[in-house]
Amino acid sequence: MFTLKKWNAVAMWSWDVECDTCAICRVQVMDACLRCQGENKQDDCVVIWGECNHSFHNCCMSLWVKQNNRCPLCQQEWSTQAKGVNFTRLLISEGRWAGEQEV
Amino acid sequence: MSTPARRRLMRDFKRLQQDPPAGVSAAPTENNIMIWNAVIFGPHDTPFEDGTFKLTLEFTEEYPNKPPTVKFVSKMFHPNVYADGGICLDILQNRWSPTYDVAAILTSIQSLLDEPNPNSPANSLAAQLYQENRREYEKRVAAIVEQSWLNFQDEDEGEDMKKDT
Repeated sequence: MFTLKKWNAVAMWSWDVECDTCAICRVQVMDACLRCQGENKQDDCVVIWGECNHSFHNCCMSLWVKQNNRCPLCQQEWSTQAKGVNFTRLLISEGRWAGEQEV
Repeated sequence: MSTPARRRLMRDFKRLQQDPPAGVSAAPTENNIMIWNAVIFGPHDTPFEDGTFKLTLEFTEEYPNKPPTVKFVSKMFHPNVYADGGICLDILQNRWSPTYDVAAILTSIQSLLDEPNPNSPANSLAAQLYQENRREYEKRVAAIVEQSWLNFQDEDEGEDMKKDT
């Protein structure tokens, strides 16, 4: 009846976080933080997760922990669980993310 | 010049306009986003009901990592408010978190009005009356509630005069 000629897989992703807005600068963690947006350092702006599962921009958090080493949301002692790059931004900046085009 | 602190304050202002919290209002001064004027309405069913209390908030470039300096401009009679209008509130000092914004600060101060903390008195007379003579305390509060309206009248008249000249 028919033959399968082409097959495209699409993956959707988002950060596995409770809240997708950085509570410190109020910008979504998918985007660069306010500081990096102003200094045009979007590519370097990564997300950081604490053991408490709260996440912020690494830049925002590194300034805060200098004066108080606790999570701004739950007040627990801060310890880093993971740090991540933002893959979408990375792909855009490397020109590998061009809409419909196949990667 | 736009700095992270100033851009954060613009976000705070946008949020205040889009999702205004009940009983408080605030806006940056015309020529300096680091200085804000605010009004807190006295909460219902409290001695502060119907009061319109003016405050100023002064931010530094370290905001939101450091809290602003918040002061009542209107005369206040409250166990945790100093004679100069300064406020003794943990979240404005050692319990500050960079996740707070202008709306959160003002609603915290609003709830402090009816829930004073007599353990850290900034006005010892107010603290004493609050604990020992609630009737007299409420009488003093009623007086500053009335005064808070006069402040607003003065300002309205001042503006009318400006228009006339």
